[in-house]
Amino acid sequence: MILARDNPFSTDRVLRERYRLSEREWSRLQEKLSYHCGRGALVGPKGSGKTTLLEDFKVRLSHPGRRITLIRLSAESPILPHAFDKTFFAKLDHNDALLLDGAEQLSWLKWFWFRWHTRHAGLVIVTTHRVGRLPMLHRCSTTPMLLRTLVRSLGEDLPHAEAATLHRRHRGNIREALRELYDRHAEKNTGVLSTPTSLV
Amino acid sequence: MSNDELGLFIDNDRKVFAPGETLELSVLWALPAKPDSLEIRLFWYTRGKGTEDVEVLATEKIASSAAAGESKVRFALPAAPYSFSGKLISLLWAVELVAEPGTRSTRCEFTLSPTGTEILLGR
Repeated sequence: MILARDNPFSTDRVLRERYRLSEREWSRLQEKLSYHCGRGALVGPKGSGKTTLLEDFKVRLSHPGRRITLIRLSAESPILPHAFDKTFFAKLDHNDALLLDGAEQLSWLKWFWFRWHTRHAGLVIVTTHRVGRLPMLHRCSTTPMLLRTLVRSLGEDLPHAEAATLHRRHRGNIREALRELYDRHAEKNTGVLSTPTSLV
Repeated sequence: MSNDELGLFIDNDRKVFAPGETLELSVLWALPAKPDSLEIRLFWYTRGKGTEDVEVLATEKIASSAAAGESKVRFALPAAPYSFSGKLISLLWAVELVAEPGTRSTRCEFTLSPTGTEILLGR
């Protein structure tokens, strides 16, 4: 049995892997954002890297004077937290960048409320499963090769055929595929208890 | 120790502590400028398949008036939780030294257990 702290597919190690986007693609993405007056959506199915890309975007948008707020919604927490009330939105101006992860969780009515109240913000970027809420900046998608690359980056090897099977079984959801690999790895037999290695 | 370094060492190089024992630490720093703050945090955190948890149990600030120096810090360890590992989750104990500005840090891990070793689940 591999202990949780030694599992190469543990959450902390997986979260360290960032969205793979070239500098050219980043430039294009930012050009699109400017073209659409600072409004845009990162679109893709579950487990395709939207949240990771949004977090990476947050880092790139950081500069002195800009206030960045990241709001996370999920099926478990589908409503805007209390801190994000009318008072919060009333203070937004062109220095604010509002990032909303999981825009599909808002009903159309709530979505219109959100759009109206964020109209003064300099940037509004959301992640969503389908096109339609804001102009699409980037479509997130996955491939068996991406899964293989990620697994290799985590220090393991995944044969191509297995990567294809796993990718297909999880319908492209890389997060779920990596969770399955965690479980498989946890069952491996080992007589050695190695020391923790990833504590950054 | 060269410039821009932080050092945090558990006295006598101990790696395992029993609940309720005292953790004694030596702290050293050599930074380019006098830090705004130097803080030691005692905490546990989890690693594994699900969401990660962390709880800071105690913090100790070091009053620093120089860019380089050394100090001693002591923490009384709590009764629980014990260090443990299973297939799905591991709970690990650590202390870290954080210097601001710049958020430089270093950490030191240890096991908290009444048996002298990490508790292993499912074996």
